[in-house]
Amino acid sequence: MAKRESPEINAGSMADIAFLLLIFFLVTTTMDKDTAYLRTIPKKVETDKPQPPVQKKNIYKIAINSRQVIQARDSIIPPNEIESLKKRIKHFYTVNRWKKSDRNIDYPYYSYGSIQLYNKNIEELEERVRKLDVSDNPDERTEKLIAQSQDAIGKWKEKLEKMKLYQKFSGKNEIPEIAYEAHIRLESFLDTDYSAYVAVQSEIQRAVTELRDEEAKEIFGITYTTMNNFYQQKKTEDTPKVRTYREYMDLIEVLFPLKLIEVEPKR
Amino acid sequence: MSKFRKNDEKPAPGINTSSLPDIVFMLLFFFMVATTTKEQDPLVKIKSAKGNGLTDLTPFKQRGEVDFIYLGAPIKGDENKFDKGIAVQFDGIIAPNGIDYLKKWKVEKFENKSDDVTAPRENIITCFKADEKVPMGILFQARKILQDLNFNSIAYSAQEKGNKSEYNIREQ
Repeated sequence: MAKRESPEINAGSMADIAFLLLIFFLVTTTMDKDTAYLRTIPKKVETDKPQPPVQKKNIYKIAINSRQVIQARDSIIPPNEIESLKKRIKHFYTVNRWKKSDRNIDYPYYSYGSIQLYNKNIEELEERVRKLDVSDNPDERTEKLIAQSQDAIGKWKEKLEKMKLYQKFSGKNEIPEIAYEAHIRLESFLDTDYSAYVAVQSEIQRAVTELRDEEAKEIFGITYTTMNNFYQQKKTEDTPKVRTYREYMDLIEVLFPLKLIEVEPKR
Repeated sequence: MSKFRKNDEKPAPGINTSSLPDIVFMLLFFFMVATTTKEQDPLVKIKSAKGNGLTDLTPFKQRGEVDFIYLGAPIKGDENKFDKGIAVQFDGIIAPNGIDYLKKWKVEKFENKSDDVTAPRENIITCFKADEKVPMGILFQARKILQDLNFNSIAYSAQEKGNKSEYNIREQ
């Protein structure tokens, strides 16, 4: 039997097909990525109890009025100098860092935790639980006290873990913690433009991210942003690397917390 | 005899187009990689605000954890029909009652989420894609609604502005 030549396929229309696909993709997709500032809304609280007042030094107040004039603490910031907000916020975070005396009284104070201190606190609380837990049928009040103490022990233990991690990588015996109440307070008006609001959010984000990056670079030799990008991509996979990064990031977030209160505008 | 022969009947050589598909495919793959699919056709005009240090929402989008709300002046129709001239677009529609529709939309959307979305309520992000001139009052109304429903994660959409350019803030 004669060998038959396989017929050649005409590839002339291949270009047309490819063009068709290309145009389809051009039409249905966009070039720009979706990027945004992630924020959380505080949980709903049922009580009407007034909150205890926060000392002025722990608040960094930024206000934007309906004409887009920005005021940070006592200074008015002209639109072409918004970038200076970043420096101001960084200053707010770091001015009293590592200072134990001669602190600037207008800015949040730092406290310094150590392994000994945390251990002592845990021991004291455990002692208290032992004393409360003597009777077989404790009344409601004691039960509540015990539960509270157990909670507190858990929190101190968490802190102890972070402290150990910090000591292991930085070699320092003390961990600086910014005052718990220290926060940035962003006030706006009903008519404030979205763009101005976002510009301030941008400066806040930049300040905190830079502080975190610098710290992470110093302690772990890798920036916070790099770790966070990796974590967000691989969050659902439970690999050792993901877990370590989460741990590192938790520590950095304790060292430089982003506490931002966005106040509901009244006028 | 001249060196240059004129009026020669030689036909122009044909161009070889066999590599054309390769070139087009290369372009195609470039666009497939470099772009993202459009969520919605916008029904409102949005000129996005500018900022630095933004978070990329792509990994959240892949997991179906983001809902987008579009705020801005309507492309078609009279903007004076809306409160402060700002129309609010949920998925493919502009809600006539504006931001108040958020409550119904959000609850329905959460209940209709597929089973592989495991994020709890407070981790589902609501992303505001607002025009730069949108007043903040409307966004705080939305925040209030979301807070009541325990959807605690929000995102303010913006575009990366680069280090050189300025923020576009309307001076008055």
